[in-house]
Amino acid sequence: MATVPHAHAAQPSEHRADHDIPPGWDYNPAEWSQRIPIAALALVGFCVSLYLALYQWGVFGSVWEPFFGDGSQRILNSSVSEALPFPDAALGAFTYLLDAVAGLVGSRRRWRTMPWIVVLFGLAVGPLGVVSVMLTVFQPVLYDTWCTLCLASAAISLVMVGPAMDEFLASLQHLKRERAKGRSLWRAFWGLEG
Amino acid sequence: MWTLIVSALTGLWLMASPSILDYGDPARTNDWIAGPLAASLSVIAVSSVLRGLRWVILPLGIWQILAPWLLGFDTTPTINATVTGLILIAAALLTRHATTRYGGGWASLLPDRMPD
Repeated sequence: MATVPHAHAAQPSEHRADHDIPPGWDYNPAEWSQRIPIAALALVGFCVSLYLALYQWGVFGSVWEPFFGDGSQRILNSSVSEALPFPDAALGAFTYLLDAVAGLVGSRRRWRTMPWIVVLFGLAVGPLGVVSVMLTVFQPVLYDTWCTLCLASAAISLVMVGPAMDEFLASLQHLKRERAKGRSLWRAFWGLEG
Repeated sequence: MWTLIVSALTGLWLMASPSILDYGDPARTNDWIAGPLAASLSVIAVSSVLRGLRWVILPLGIWQILAPWLLGFDTTPTINATVTGLILIAAALLTRHATTRYGGGWASLLPDRMPD
């Protein structure tokens, strides 16, 4: 008698009709409903960063700043912003564009058919979030002011981290399973294994 | 989920409070660092796959309670740091563990484990 509820307790994932869901997962992290919002956010982040980069390059003479007076102007012309040979917002814009492209490439099976793009996506989104937090701390601590659009960009990059990391985890688990089966990690990474 | 919204708003408050309550260093710099960290961790931990990051909010809350005594804050920032610290600790402890299944989660990537 006690075995009856037990038999129902452990439902293996094979019962699911959708084989695109990773083993042991409740959903498919590479679903379009997951990826399109991230790509849309990345494009918004790209536009914001591009605008800031164009100001830093001198294309625009002034920058939009509704709350903090000359805050944006001081931060975007600061030594931290100019630490690289090109404006820091240009690096941000490039990373956002990479996020958008890497977010859209591949089918809803890509966590196992194209681990390389999912890993690239995760490696672009994760550090962008970390750098955003660092730059957000630098604004008041070093310059005693804030930059509205820099904060907006930081918020966008943070919201993207979670939705990108689940797919990243699914791909890493897939690679680990493939290696445990004795298959080539290299071939699995590039999606060359059946 | 709502607990993470509370801790995110607490982080935003810490970013703004040095100006609003008009207090100076060392409390000001402390809150300018703790605020963005609390807000960012909370936003990221909303995703259930990264829910474990809520545990990093706990030491941040404990730090907010210790900092006034270790760094020597004035009265106003001391009260502010203590209250925000208690809120962050409560938020970290009350945030629910994610029930979504992730094939063993991040721990499955450890050398001695295997994903489902």
